[in-house]
Amino acid sequence: MKRYLTLNRLMRLTLGVLLTITFLNCTSEKFKESTDETLNITDYIRQDKDYSMFLEILEITNYASFMNTYGTYTLFLPTNDAIKNYLSDLGVTSIKDVPLVDLQNLVKLHILDQKVNTTSFTDGKIAAPSQYGQFLVTGASNSNGVSSITVNRTSNIVVSNIEVGNGVIHVIDKVLRVANKTLAKTIEADKTLTIFTEALKATGWYDKLNQPVADTKNLNQYLTVLTQTDEVFKAAGINNIADLKLKYSHLNDPLNVKDSLNLFVSYRIIPKLLYLADLAVTPAVETKAPLEVISVKLSKDTLLLNQEVYNGILEKGVVVNREKSDGTASNGVLHFVNKNFFIKKRLPAPVYFDVADQPEFRKLTSIFRQHLGLTASLFQAEMSEVTWDGANRITYLDGKAGSSTGGGWHGDFLEILRFRTGYIQNVQFKTPVIIKGKYKVWVGYRPQTTKTPLVKVYFDGVELPKLINFLEYPTATANDQEERVLESQGYKHHVTPYDRNQNSRLCGVIDVPTTGRHVIKFESLTSNTGAQTWIDVVEFRPIDMDQLWPKLQSGGDGIIYQ
Amino acid sequence: MRTKINSILAILLIFVTSISCDNYLDLRPQDGIIRQEFWKTKEDIQAAVIGIYSSLLSNPPGIGGDTVSEYLFMYGELRGDLTAPGVYVTTDERDIMNSNIVSANALTSWAAFYRVINYCNTVIDLAPAVLAKDPTLTQAQLNNYLSEALAIRAYLYFTLARTFKNVPLKLNATLSDLDNFQLPVTPQNEIFAQVIKDLNLAEEYGVKDYKSIASNKGRITVYAINAMQTDVYLWMENYQGALTAANKVIDSNNYQLIPASNSWFNRVYAVGNSSESIFEFQYTTQNLNPFYNMFLQRPEIIASQKVFEEVFGIDYNNALNKDIRGERASLVPGTNEIYKFTGLNSDERKSLQESDTHWFVYRYADVLLMKAEALAELNQGEEAVAIIKNLREKRAAISATALNVDGKNKIDVIDYILAERSREFAFEGKRWFDVLRNAKRNNYSRIELLINMALSSAPANQQQTIITKLKDSNSHYLPINDYELYSNKALVQNPFYK
Repeated sequence: MKRYLTLNRLMRLTLGVLLTITFLNCTSEKFKESTDETLNITDYIRQDKDYSMFLEILEITNYASFMNTYGTYTLFLPTNDAIKNYLSDLGVTSIKDVPLVDLQNLVKLHILDQKVNTTSFTDGKIAAPSQYGQFLVTGASNSNGVSSITVNRTSNIVVSNIEVGNGVIHVIDKVLRVANKTLAKTIEADKTLTIFTEALKATGWYDKLNQPVADTKNLNQYLTVLTQTDEVFKAAGINNIADLKLKYSHLNDPLNVKDSLNLFVSYRIIPKLLYLADLAVTPAVETKAPLEVISVKLSKDTLLLNQEVYNGILEKGVVVNREKSDGTASNGVLHFVNKNFFIKKRLPAPVYFDVADQPEFRKLTSIFRQHLGLTASLFQAEMSEVTWDGANRITYLDGKAGSSTGGGWHGDFLEILRFRTGYIQNVQFKTPVIIKGKYKVWVGYRPQTTKTPLVKVYFDGVELPKLINFLEYPTATANDQEERVLESQGYKHHVTPYDRNQNSRLCGVIDVPTTGRHVIKFESLTSNTGAQTWIDVVEFRPIDMDQLWPKLQSGGDGIIYQ
Repeated sequence: MRTKINSILAILLIFVTSISCDNYLDLRPQDGIIRQEFWKTKEDIQAAVIGIYSSLLSNPPGIGGDTVSEYLFMYGELRGDLTAPGVYVTTDERDIMNSNIVSANALTSWAAFYRVINYCNTVIDLAPAVLAKDPTLTQAQLNNYLSEALAIRAYLYFTLARTFKNVPLKLNATLSDLDNFQLPVTPQNEIFAQVIKDLNLAEEYGVKDYKSIASNKGRITVYAINAMQTDVYLWMENYQGALTAANKVIDSNNYQLIPASNSWFNRVYAVGNSSESIFEFQYTTQNLNPFYNMFLQRPEIIASQKVFEEVFGIDYNNALNKDIRGERASLVPGTNEIYKFTGLNSDERKSLQESDTHWFVYRYADVLLMKAEALAELNQGEEAVAIIKNLREKRAAISATALNVDGKNKIDVIDYILAERSREFAFEGKRWFDVLRNAKRNNYSRIELLINMALSSAPANQQQTIITKLKDSNSHYLPINDYELYSNKALVQNPFYK
């Protein structure tokens, strides 16, 4: 002490200041360590008392910390009222009374692994499955003039698109329920589906519809079933399973997959998860009945199955019952139809496909089939049913009546300038509906003497054996007999009266597996194609049909019989 | 001695700095003019009024985003059934087309409208004081200028109320940061009432003839005001008022329909300011319209699939028999490109440098068809049908789109008017408003008009949702943009957008 006092005043002051500094200033300053104040899902829920019960569930199921980690999630967040209703539905008073496994499944059903805003909702399922595996269905409902977006048809979204640090939250007013029944059990439980249930059991499909899905994220493992109520059966004169067997089971062995009753059932099972919104954008769906498809059409807001025009006659389709459909089961979805239907038996019929008859060309009324010698060219983006490689345009050529390009069927051609790799290649057309069966494929064209290609044709990706040489002109024939000889060599005159600028080439025989629209592709094998390639018509003639007659009218729209 | 020198130096320094600092402390902008120096002569008022028009055409320098004319197009057409997404469509545009609208959608920003409204308010507030400063300014001249500002403000509020339903109503200029910006919304009917009040005053003050065609079509005339009144009265379901206002335009004999010919499209649209025109935004080759890029170079919006076949109709037997408003006037068949604002005539498009096609706010045909609508609602359907018939003859409409309508059947007459309006005003920013106005009439007695429109244009996999949404009348109006809600706490969001 004495020593301290002996120090001079300046030293004492310095020492004092130093001591003060060391003692006082040693607390570290508080820096802000985060750059973003946005809360993550769990923290967001914690902030609001209205969601305390769901928070409790998250904590019980150990999901609370998980939902606070970074990621991209979508959470459907039920309010406390929603959870109270859920508990009273279950007949319990507190969350703790619900089995842990049920709670875990419930939480998983409310979480998607991807961030999905309401703007990407459709009438059907959300593209990403829930963590539980089940897909959620969105839609909208209106009550008392107020519309809301719904999830799984029952829960209304109360607050939407709340952006949080690790995803997005939609608040819902009702808890989403896990679909724990399989399709088979769902159908069986429905008292209006007794005949269909018995048909399922009789044909052995009941067990197949009762199997759980192994990989819940694989859409193709789910099934879609088109059912019909007993009333619909009765309207078709089928009052019980005995009537049904009598009507359809032609082998008397419904378990046999070839038995018509078995086909009756398998034709109603689609090996995919298709909600109505998915059906509305799918022109044809495959069924479990081998090679049989169901076509789907949306007419205004009505979904019609198998509505087709064959040979100019409209075959009325079967209406899907929107109110009852879209029933989710653990392994698929259930729809209802309003009328009994079965596989349509059709005999192969010829299809004369004028490749120049494209909807976009048809709209050009001042050119289309006016026979004035005019052309119009369109880019690929402007065409709906033709695709090709290359950025150049294809052309509609309407030949002038009486001229050398006016003699095709309807007087018009599809013109491809420089049909070769690097310009326009692999031209693909969507065909009209072709009934399943075996067909010969003839391609009618207008040849030129130079710079035209050698073309290979593919049907549904399968290569046809014979090539078309666009240099080849027709061989004139004196009578039908001579033309038959020509036919045996794979050539014919597809138009009548005979036009020396119109030739037709047999490309091969195809087996059309399913009734529906298919794809025909033309590939050029020549690299020095500088001129136009003119294709008139592709004829699909059933193999047992006369391949020469009827012929197509040269320069006109008719089909001319011998 | 030294202290003395120091103090002298110090005094000197203070002198030098305080005297030469004069300019230094002056905070006037160097590239603009301030209010105290403006508003002194009648030329100043004229400059401000012309400034309002030019801000309708394009945004002021330094301000990006869509222009008022683009918003007018999008608000009127995107939700209708005449448009479809093009290759370069933006997400926001597509979402509005599919009724997938959220408040984060940038197109729901109303800033462009309120900017011009503020310009109008500034003229209305500050111009009257010039009367005292400039002896050459007469009260009549001042009133003329006020009429223009009042009418434009009324039209913008009318558009906002048709688009957003309830919007904040600000009728005085924002001159300082101290103004109250926390304005709540005013109900739609009160906005309409204010609009009518403004229009009536504007009509009283208005100009009938500017002595130049460009001004008569490009500035607000009494007849443009009458056309606006007709429109607003129809929305307010005051049909007698609408009829009276429409008749004022018709009885002026200033306007007439140009008969169908090959040059009709060129005259009415490509050149503009025709005898059919009442009020147009005057784009010039120095101030190009914004649609060249939007419809032609990088097409964001195209005509929907049905327009050519179902709206204008095709005569399959005679290609030359066609509605002059359809092929190569409204659109290009096949590609469905919107042609109205880029075409020069029926063969050629304008080049980018000459893309000056105007934006058409009111044309004579609009007044005629609005009159027909008022007549139909006043149970004078026969007269309404006669108006449609006359218009169709002038436009060479084809028989496939003609309807044989009994004038006593109000619903049929209205449907016919709507169909004719879709042909006459395709892509002129009217379709959605036309259908909404008729659907909401008599407490939404014809909601099916909106639903049928959705049925014909909605994507198949969203159709049901869209229809259900449309059953809620609040969904017919756009949400208040997030940014506005954030900056103005007095606003309350439209309850549909929860």
